[in-house]
Amino acid sequence: MNFLNIEDEMKFFQKMYVLRKDIENFLFDEGYMNIEPSIFEGYDDFIGVNSRIDKKSTVKLLDNNSEILILTPDITTGIVNKFMPRWEMSSLLKIFYYGKTYKHNGVGIKENREMGVEIIGERNHFTDENILNTSARIIAKYSSNYLFEIGNSKFLKGIMQSCSFKKEDYENILDILYLKNRQELKDYLSKLPYREPMSTLLNIFDLEGTFDEISEELKGLYMNDLMKQGLDELKKIDNYMKNITDKITYDLSMVSELSYYDGTIFRGYIEGSNKAIIKGGRYDSFTEQYGYKIPAMGFTVELDELIKVLYKEEQ
Amino acid sequence: MSLTIAIPKGRLGSQAIDMLKAAGIGESIDEKSRKLVFDDEQRNLRFMLLKNSDIITYVENGVADIGISGKDMIMENSADIYELYKMNIGKCKISVAGIKGKKIFKDDTIIKVATKFPETAKKYFNSKGQKIKIIKLNGSIELAPILGLSDVIVDIVETGNTLKANGLEVFEDMYPITAMVISNKISYKLKRKEIKEIIELIRKEDEKYGENN
Repeated sequence: MNFLNIEDEMKFFQKMYVLRKDIENFLFDEGYMNIEPSIFEGYDDFIGVNSRIDKKSTVKLLDNNSEILILTPDITTGIVNKFMPRWEMSSLLKIFYYGKTYKHNGVGIKENREMGVEIIGERNHFTDENILNTSARIIAKYSSNYLFEIGNSKFLKGIMQSCSFKKEDYENILDILYLKNRQELKDYLSKLPYREPMSTLLNIFDLEGTFDEISEELKGLYMNDLMKQGLDELKKIDNYMKNITDKITYDLSMVSELSYYDGTIFRGYIEGSNKAIIKGGRYDSFTEQYGYKIPAMGFTVELDELIKVLYKEEQ
Repeated sequence: MSLTIAIPKGRLGSQAIDMLKAAGIGESIDEKSRKLVFDDEQRNLRFMLLKNSDIITYVENGVADIGISGKDMIMENSADIYELYKMNIGKCKISVAGIKGKKIFKDDTIIKVATKFPETAKKYFNSKGQKIKIIKLNGSIELAPILGLSDVIVDIVETGNTLKANGLEVFEDMYPITAMVISNKISYKLKRKEIKEIIELIRKEDEKYGENN
């Protein structure tokens, strides 16, 4: 057995460097500006925004005043916290960054390299299209066997709001959706007082596939304004994406670990990899905590995962 | 596109294999042979026979696309997978049991719990506000309270006969358990149609079984 030697390790670093530069150059040419993200976040601020994140997995440290800090598990949170307090209404940010996120994974601290893209403050209707197009072009550079999965959190939010669940039930139902456990969802809902939107919730695992398949499944099911808004946004994306790639699937039950997403959510997968290579979405309501709702959207490319796929293809 | 299916060895696995055969997709599996991997080239399916407790690891890491595993293992490992179908086989309970009649524990005592399922036990007693000390065992859990190693045990109970034979009784049922069809999350995205087809075949056989039992 040959363990990693210096030569191979150097090769890996060069490969990572080339990959990183490759994507950076592409984004720079597309008109995005580079920033350097901070690796520290305030623990309370972070958990306040991302209540669904696994608290045990955060890497904590203490500063001089015994305030708890964490090494960032999500760079977008830091960027919003950095710019929003001094935001001017006319500002427009189109940025990209290279950074690392940190998490305890049970054995130690896992560093994760990622490349991120954010568009904050663009007041037209093309941000979704631009972000999706950019991410699709990145993934297509590295593999032809990829798949984009797109959802819209407003649809699920619309159901959950009009069911007016208690906080505990709300969280438990999200956990069940996260596992796609159809029978448990049915059992759980049957114990709660019946509300009409539950009829759609019970069928939510069938609301996946092509947009036409979803429209067909939705016939006769309960729908309110917020759900309709989410669906309309998805339809608009479908009309646009059709011309770019056919490697798309939609899923209205998509739940993200990051709870700030509000609207379009998407992930990009490559065959042969066991993790999402691209993760992103719209997070307008995140900025609302600072007093104003600003259109904001972004995605990250998981470099460590992507390079694994590229290595595999080479061997 | 091919699909890899992980099946547990043992009684649960035999029941699952019978079901797959009845559904017309399992004829390549020969339980009597010592082989662990069976290919059905015609249908593009691969079956792997694995230890029950390893199914989740194989599915979570994408080596198998789907698998059949007990809910007890799924709860214990809190794995990042989809729980796509709850089956009618492998039905049992995970329960707290102890020496018959010795059910009373004072307010602030730390109960010693012997179990194969430390995470599940922690979660359960935590939700009850009961402090516990876990004693991790791998087998013959029933002996622990008798020999004074623990106050109670947390274990799978099917008929309760083993407990009875050892002078123990169930104090509380914790969670109902069944076998589940689980899937790797990324496989589900990339091979959704194939996976749903297989599950539909299993569901039909499983419901027949459910009606007859």
